[in-house]
Amino acid sequence: MFSFIKKYVETVAHGDIYGYVAMGLFGALFIWMLWFALRADKKYISELEELPFNDSSKKN
Amino acid sequence: MEVEKFKYDNRIVRNFAYASFLWGAVGMLVGLYIALELIFPQLNFCRYATFGRLRPLHTNAVIFAFVGNGIFMGVYYSLQRLCKTRMWSETLSKIHFWGWQLIILLAAVTLVLGITVSKEYAELEWPIDILIAVVWVIFGINMFGTILTRRERHLYVAIWFYIATWITVAMLHIVNSIEIPVSLIKSYSVYAGVQDALVQWWYGHNAVAFFLTTPYLGLMYYFLPKAANRPVYSYRLSIIHFWALIFIYIWAGPHHLLYTALPDWAQSLGTVFSVMLIMPSWGGMINGLLTLRGAWDRVRDDVVLKFYVVAVTAYGMSTFEGPMLSIKSVNAISHYTDWTIAHVHIGALGWNGFLTFGVLFWLIPKLYRTELYSRKLANAHFWIGTLGILFYAIPMYWSALTQWSMLRQFTEEGILKYPNFLETVKAIMPMYYMRAFGGFLYLSGALIGIYNLIRTAQQGSFQAEEEAEAPALEKTYEAHHGEHWHRWIERRPVQFLIFSFIVVAIGGLIEFLPTFLIQSNIPTIASVKPYTPLELEGRDIYIREGCYLCHSQMVRPFREEVARYGEYSKAGEFVYDHPFQWGSKRTGPDLAREGGKYPDSWHYNHMDDPRTVSPGSIMPTYSYMLDKDLDTTYTAKKIRVMQMLGVPYPKGYDAVAVSDMEKQALGIQASLKKDGIQTSEKKEIVALIAYLQRLGTDIKAENQKTVASAQ
Repeated sequence: MFSFIKKYVETVAHGDIYGYVAMGLFGALFIWMLWFALRADKKYISELEELPFNDSSKKN
Repeated sequence: MEVEKFKYDNRIVRNFAYASFLWGAVGMLVGLYIALELIFPQLNFCRYATFGRLRPLHTNAVIFAFVGNGIFMGVYYSLQRLCKTRMWSETLSKIHFWGWQLIILLAAVTLVLGITVSKEYAELEWPIDILIAVVWVIFGINMFGTILTRRERHLYVAIWFYIATWITVAMLHIVNSIEIPVSLIKSYSVYAGVQDALVQWWYGHNAVAFFLTTPYLGLMYYFLPKAANRPVYSYRLSIIHFWALIFIYIWAGPHHLLYTALPDWAQSLGTVFSVMLIMPSWGGMINGLLTLRGAWDRVRDDVVLKFYVVAVTAYGMSTFEGPMLSIKSVNAISHYTDWTIAHVHIGALGWNGFLTFGVLFWLIPKLYRTELYSRKLANAHFWIGTLGILFYAIPMYWSALTQWSMLRQFTEEGILKYPNFLETVKAIMPMYYMRAFGGFLYLSGALIGIYNLIRTAQQGSFQAEEEAEAPALEKTYEAHHGEHWHRWIERRPVQFLIFSFIVVAIGGLIEFLPTFLIQSNIPTIASVKPYTPLELEGRDIYIREGCYLCHSQMVRPFREEVARYGEYSKAGEFVYDHPFQWGSKRTGPDLAREGGKYPDSWHYNHMDDPRTVSPGSIMPTYSYMLDKDLDTTYTAKKIRVMQMLGVPYPKGYDAVAVSDMEKQALGIQASLKKDGIQTSEKKEIVALIAYLQRLGTDIKAENQKTVASAQ
């Protein structure tokens, strides 16, 4: 079923395509996370960054 | 919601803390010893104390024992508190702790005995590899059990780093350790040559990334805000920094193989991603340092913060230097010289070492409900350690530039100005003295620190069970209207694990698939033949003694290297090399074209005492090989394993391998006799000579054939 893909990746003489795929994937992931990080609610972010200080210990 | 009472398990944290600093002292002491061996070769006084055997002991002890136990100490402490729950299973915690210490002990014993697969930072033989996998899975089950039974809905960024560390280290360890056993203490990598090199440095680089960096970033995100008593500078930055870092890091492995026989496209890919890596790395550094905004005055008095500041700064320096070293023209200088040694020690001594000590100085007084025994001693440790880092690193940079510039100098007539590699080694000896002094300082600081920690523990009372309370996690959670996918995944550790795995696996897959699938990447060379049984046995001795730690087998396509060593290396030369022996550092010359350069008797005398044939050499003596009989118990099986791996020995060759070996050995014995050396053909030295005399000769034969046909 995927023999056309197999044939393609086995006969590529140069690896340029892999570089482009890699950069494309990273670009997509980066923009996705950047979009979330910039749009994230300030209150929500404040709650998260306070987590190390709410360890519920009775002694610390 | 009803508040639940529970207790944090501090015992496991304390145990890992003790193990960390005790193994740390051992690892650093061995480091100092091998630094001295490079100055005083007499210190290689027996086969168990040679540089080739102790160097892996040093790296393994520091990485997996000092830093490894440091990671577990920090994870067990912070995970319980960030999840507001006790560790899921005390039994698994104990198995993890003792299992890890057993691995370290087995590593120490086997490495000293010369039992190694010769892959840097993954030297341990297959039974220990399996044990590592089992203990790592136990750690993972306990960690995920804790996360799944938590009382805090959201996973703090430190936990993301722990999850990514766990899954990636598991992947790296399993893929790189696939070996076919010959016996309980001997195996061969399933990969050969270029493919083995790619897999190994994918592992090797990411051992740095996912064992020495990501878990420590997790610790930084927890312990630095705690010590500074203020939240991390930018949580938003940590989100971007985390995903970008784990995605990019995994691609960077090929920068360890620039200008080698690795296909050019893979080298370029490694370079591009390595250069990009500076952004997420500095995202972490900036986030760490800026967490101290408005609290810099406290750094003057708070020794813990001092350690953190130097640690994070060292991280920033290393992660600036790393991308720079991945640029081909810079890499041409750094690779095989002491520059790489300086680079890794800035990271290991500064980032890992100082962060570990910072955490210990904060944690031990807390666990023992007391104050630090002596601030003066802690400050002394800090300053002696900092000076130690400088005294270590600066001479190594100096040494690298000196040696590189000497190695590439030509006379006006166009011949090498320093044709003898040893001349360059003699020139850098003063730097080796200074490096050893730097190591001595760092170790002295660490010993002061350990004394301080022990006295702190003695003056306090240990709190094994720390009481805590928190409301149970509500079963139902109303998602925020229109919430982003990331907010959703932050509450779901299993999905987080799967997504992290996908992100890190992409890089490995895209780099490996073409290298393994595209035939044109590794063109075969007709004259390259499998090793004879005697050469194979000799090669195993070469591996056992860790020769690859000082001698490369990779001639790069530079004028000075071709002039010094011969024809540059081709991918097709290594197709039967299970495992590859390219090396990563040249304390001695490259050996890729060693075959036929010297007579057999030269090698015999050189192994007996290197200084008789190379005055001033710093190589250990291997005179015991002259007396030790070669063990041929597994020769036939080794041939069968090689056949399984695709090495084209004729069918049934294993049955005649030993007799073939004896014939070749008798030839070497006769050659030695001609030069006045009487020895038995059964000695180890004969096998080693056979291997050394074979190196590079396939290509020489091919070249002679080509010249003859042209004439």
